[in-house]
Amino acid sequence: MTSSTPLIGVSIPMLKIKELINHVAQTCLNILITGETGVGKEVVAQSLHAESNRSKNNFIKINCAALPETLLESELYGYEKGAFTGAHKKRPGKFLTADKGVLFLDEIGDMPLALQSKMLHVLQSGEFSPLGSDQDFKTDAWVIAATNQCLEEKIKNKTFREDLFYRLNIIKIDIPPLRQRPEDIPALVEYYFKKYLSEYPKSNAVKPDSQIMERLCSYHWPGNVRQLQNCIKKLMVLNSWDKVFEELPIDADTPETSASDISQAQLAGSAMHSPDYPFDSEAGKRRMRIISEFVDMSTSSEKLFEDISLKKIKKLASDKVEKEVIIFVLEKVGWNRSKAAKILKVSYKTLLYKMSEFNVNPPVS
Amino acid sequence: MANAARLLIVDDNEDILSTFYEFFNSLGYEVKTAVDGFAALKILRNKPDYFHCLITDLVMPNISGVGLISIVKKEYPDIKTIAMTGYGGHPGALASEARADIVIFKPVDLFKIEHKVAELVGRTED
Repeated sequence: MTSSTPLIGVSIPMLKIKELINHVAQTCLNILITGETGVGKEVVAQSLHAESNRSKNNFIKINCAALPETLLESELYGYEKGAFTGAHKKRPGKFLTADKGVLFLDEIGDMPLALQSKMLHVLQSGEFSPLGSDQDFKTDAWVIAATNQCLEEKIKNKTFREDLFYRLNIIKIDIPPLRQRPEDIPALVEYYFKKYLSEYPKSNAVKPDSQIMERLCSYHWPGNVRQLQNCIKKLMVLNSWDKVFEELPIDADTPETSASDISQAQLAGSAMHSPDYPFDSEAGKRRMRIISEFVDMSTSSEKLFEDISLKKIKKLASDKVEKEVIIFVLEKVGWNRSKAAKILKVSYKTLLYKMSEFNVNPPVS
Repeated sequence: MANAARLLIVDDNEDILSTFYEFFNSLGYEVKTAVDGFAALKILRNKPDYFHCLITDLVMPNISGVGLISIVKKEYPDIKTIAMTGYGGHPGALASEARADIVIFKPVDLFKIEHKVAELVGRTED
């Protein structure tokens, strides 16, 4: 991701995050950014840096999950010449290069416990010493940490220090997953379409029409903004939205439902690809499309199962069809309601009641 | 009390918030409330020289009480700050570090807090 990626979004939670950034960027208090993978935690951190009075200084990122413990330690704090085998010359750590700037600690939830206590010490005292050095250095790095894990849970399991958590969590910015804010999707599509079109000027990709946009907005994006971004990049090469959609994991496959599907399949002693679970076939897709008209499929399976009730769905489905039939007949008879009631074989009163329930009104001429 | 002291009370538990509101209001304080640190900060930025005392919970969504106290101490140093915590020692210690005037542990005795508020606000008016 380039450093200039703007924070895109028009949904209420995203507007609130932008407002929060605007209010706290000057304070340089420790910030914890949480959210699923791909929601844009680093983009939020960069926006904080850009809006702070440290924007001219460094934004240094380190991924705590990507490096083994000893390497992470030497990356953070640096080392003196001869500190360990292979330390041929002195090397400054990220705490030093981020001085007066921002130190972005990505995947803080994966930081080993030993390093957590060292980190806590630096945050408390503002001092650190490089490996192999007996000298303390002052650092004025603004620490912004991010994680997709539930740190409260990790505290309970004793894999994350509670005192470090509270010290990082002075301000918390929680970014909701993309499926909870589909109104952000058109702006994101627009942005990445333009961006990748300029990178692939020979591409024949066309902007999504309203139908494609609707499909994009109703997809649940388990990989969030990063997945959407990759899709549009793919479009530049494939030049076909249909092919892009073909390659998307299908709608029903939210992390929660897939886990329960597997356990159910195991309970039933059947293989995952048994015909009882045709989620990856055309029929499965059709089924999910129909169900999603009446049930919000983007929620967790627990909530989903609470929402599903045949009685409720029967009512929703019959209402939907009844409304269309009533409009169809009324249009045929020039909105003569007594004629329509006769054709529909219901009483005049029932028809009037249904028209008001479904909010069916004659066209204003 | 003669001159109504103006309080900003912040807690993400609306029951606690309304209890505090009723209590201080009935004693003649002018009370504003906010459900989290960000809402409180927006109120403060709107009325920078208005409040005499901030009473805040510590563990809250978006801006924590510790964050709020740090900002207040830097930007509005005349406002007295009282931190309330129900989450063990860590947030309380951080609030002291952020130079909260008083840190108290939940459950709180409203009369005791009122006493402290009167003391703190009295000091400013001296």
